[in-house]
Amino acid sequence: MQSTELEYITALKERLGKRLPPEEVEDILSDYREHFRMGRADGRSEAELCRSLGEADDVAREMVATHFVNKAGHTKSARNFSHAVLATLGLGLFNLVFVLVPIIVLAVLLAVIFLVGGAFIVFGPVAFVLALLQLAGTPFFALWANPLAGILFSVGITALGLLLIIGNYYLANFFYRLGIRYLKWNIRVIRGTEEE
Amino acid sequence: MNIQFKKGVLELCVLSMLVRKDCYGYELVYEISKRIDISEGTIYPLLRRLKEEGLMSTYLQESGEGPPRKYYALTDQGRQKERELRDEWLNFTVSVGKLLEANPNAVH
Repeated sequence: MQSTELEYITALKERLGKRLPPEEVEDILSDYREHFRMGRADGRSEAELCRSLGEADDVAREMVATHFVNKAGHTKSARNFSHAVLATLGLGLFNLVFVLVPIIVLAVLLAVIFLVGGAFIVFGPVAFVLALLQLAGTPFFALWANPLAGILFSVGITALGLLLIIGNYYLANFFYRLGIRYLKWNIRVIRGTEEE
Repeated sequence: MNIQFKKGVLELCVLSMLVRKDCYGYELVYEISKRIDISEGTIYPLLRRLKEEGLMSTYLQESGEGPPRKYYALTDQGRQKERELRDEWLNFTVSVGKLLEANPNAVH
């Protein structure tokens, strides 16, 4: 536990410096410096101010979690999202552990849909060309019993692939936004460590 | 009081203080922690979040002595949010109050 302003600010700086951009760290530190300045002017000792601020560690964890959740909200990427989840887990929010499994299952599902859609989009045109060649009478490509059915099938499968990819995109977006809101809610309502 | 309970209400406390006038950080922290038992350090992350969410803005203003202070002011969005949260809170406390009153075993 820190008992002077210097110790407190140093502890915060050390913990934040590793994770956040320097301008943001400086902005956060200036708030706490101002707090100490005003508190001293108010006649409170540095030790007392440190005590009522609470552990620098807890403050830093909360700042880091907030930063990463905001970042993931602004710039969508799987990497930002996983950083946000990890930083929020760092607050000791054990309820998040229970949603971790559904999140991973969902991510795998979205990836599988993406791959299947992609495969259809690649396979469709190939099947289409093969069917055309067969229709043109090239015996070597006699893949289909009925080349016309082959053409219909390949057009169908290409369209299905496109639909899957587009649908998957919207689905991923939807769950991403939902996830960010859930993380924000966690940070807002629940605090890692109890006072005292 | 339950810590999660307090933290959910903190946002309303900050917003409602700012409805009356712009405040600097220490002022907000001091007034709130005087009435609600919570570590003062956690109010600053909240202030950053509310700013990030566009509910309030900040500006620096010279004070009589020392460096300028950072003041917090509500945005229109912040005022709207304050009204929403205030209504929710009042409805909630009235409902709970009625339930408590209705309890025949209550000792007064």
